[in-house]
Amino acid sequence: MSMNFSEFKRKLGAEPRNEDPEFLRARHSSPEFEEAAEAADRFEAKLERAAAVPLPEGLIDDILAFVEHSPERSARRNWWPMAMAASVLIAVGAAGLGWKMSHSWESVEEYLVDHYRHDGDKMVVMAAGSNANNVQAVLSKLDVSAAPALAAIVSVIKYCPTPDGKGVHMVLNTQNGPVTVIYMPHAKVTDGEMLAFDNVDAVLVDLQSGSAAIIGAGVKGVSELYTLIQTSIIPTSISS
Amino acid sequence: MPVMNTEAGRQAKFNQLAQAYGTDLYRYAMWICGNDALAKDLVQETYLRAWKALDKLNDIGAAKSWLITILRREYARTFERKVPKFTDVDSVVVPDDIELEPDDRTEIELLRQGIMKLAPKYREPLLMQVVLGYSCEEISKQLDISKSAVMTQLFRAREQLKQKLRKDGVTGNVHELF
Repeated sequence: MSMNFSEFKRKLGAEPRNEDPEFLRARHSSPEFEEAAEAADRFEAKLERAAAVPLPEGLIDDILAFVEHSPERSARRNWWPMAMAASVLIAVGAAGLGWKMSHSWESVEEYLVDHYRHDGDKMVVMAAGSNANNVQAVLSKLDVSAAPALAAIVSVIKYCPTPDGKGVHMVLNTQNGPVTVIYMPHAKVTDGEMLAFDNVDAVLVDLQSGSAAIIGAGVKGVSELYTLIQTSIIPTSISS
Repeated sequence: MPVMNTEAGRQAKFNQLAQAYGTDLYRYAMWICGNDALAKDLVQETYLRAWKALDKLNDIGAAKSWLITILRREYARTFERKVPKFTDVDSVVVPDDIELEPDDRTEIELLRQGIMKLAPKYREPLLMQVVLGYSCEEISKQLDISKSAVMTQLFRAREQLKQKLRKDGVTGNVHELF
C-alpha cells in the first residue's frame, strides 16, 4: 500500500534526508509529493547553513595538545574529581552567572573577573602537584617564550580566550602558593594596576609584547611576581 | 580497526578519533552551551575522558556515539545544574556569508535564533540530526526514547522554526517553504 500524503509529510518533517526506498518512491509518485519534498529540501539547506558554526583555528591540534599535556593523563590521579565536586563545581556554578556568553567584555578588568570565575579555581586544583613540560610549545604559538625562571615554576598551562583573541592561562607554583597568570597578547593594560575581586588580588603587567595579569590570594604574593613576569615573557623575535 | 596495545597504537587510535569527530563535537557543543570558549573546554574535557577510557572502546564504529555520550554527560555534570541555560543567540555568531542574498541571510539569522529558542527536547534531536548527521534510530538510542517520539520531536522542531519564519514576516524565498 502506498504512503498517503499526510504520512509522507510527517516523515518529510522528521527526516527529510531519508533514503528509505518506500519514502523515495512516494516522493516521485505525484507532483504534490514532489513539490512538498522540494520545499523541504530548500528549508533543510537553510537549516544546515544556519547550524554550521565556524570552527576555531587549530581546534584539533588544541584538543590533542590539551590531552597530551593534561596532568590527569600521566598521573591519572583519583583525588581531583572529588576535590572538584567539593569545591570547584560550586565555584564554577556560582561563577557561571557571570561568564560571558560572548567576547564583548567592556574592559580587561571585567574580562579577568569573568575569566577567573569561570575556571580559575579549577585550574588551581588541577595544578596541584603538577609540572608543565609544554610551556615553550604553548607560548611559541603566540610568538613569545618563557625565561627559564618562569618556565620552571609553571604547573599547568593552556590556551584561553582573551578580549582580543587567544591567550594563555597558566598556574605557577610559588613559595606563596599557586598563582595564576593570564597572558593577553594584544590587550593594553595600565601597568601596575591592582584589582581585588572575590577572594583574590591581581596586578596587571604591561609587557614587551602584550600584557599579563597575575592573580592570587594576597597582594604580597602577586606583587612579588611582578618583576619576574615582566621580564620573563619574551617576544620570540628578541629571544631567538 | 584492530585494538593496539602499544602506547603508540593507543595514541594513533586517539588521534584518529580527534581528527574524525572533533569538529562535529565542537559544533554540537557550541549549540548546546552557546559559547565558543565553553564549547572548546567541553570538547577538550570530553577527549580527556575518552583518552582515559579508550581501552573500553572496542568498536571503532561506535566511537562517535560514545564520544557524544561522554560530551553530554560532561555537560550535564559540569554545567547543567549550576548555570542558567546558555541560550544567548548573539553568542552563536556566524560570519556574514557574501554568497547569501539579503533575504536568505535574514532567514538564516532567524533560524539561528529559532534553534536556540527551541525547547531542549526539540533542539537536541534536531541538532543531532542536522549537525551530527544522526538518523532517527541513532537519536533514539542516544536519547533513550522511542523512534516514534524522535520523529515527532523532529517534526515539531521544524514546524516551530517554520512558524517563526512566518511569524517574523520573512518574505522572499521563505514563502516557497510552506
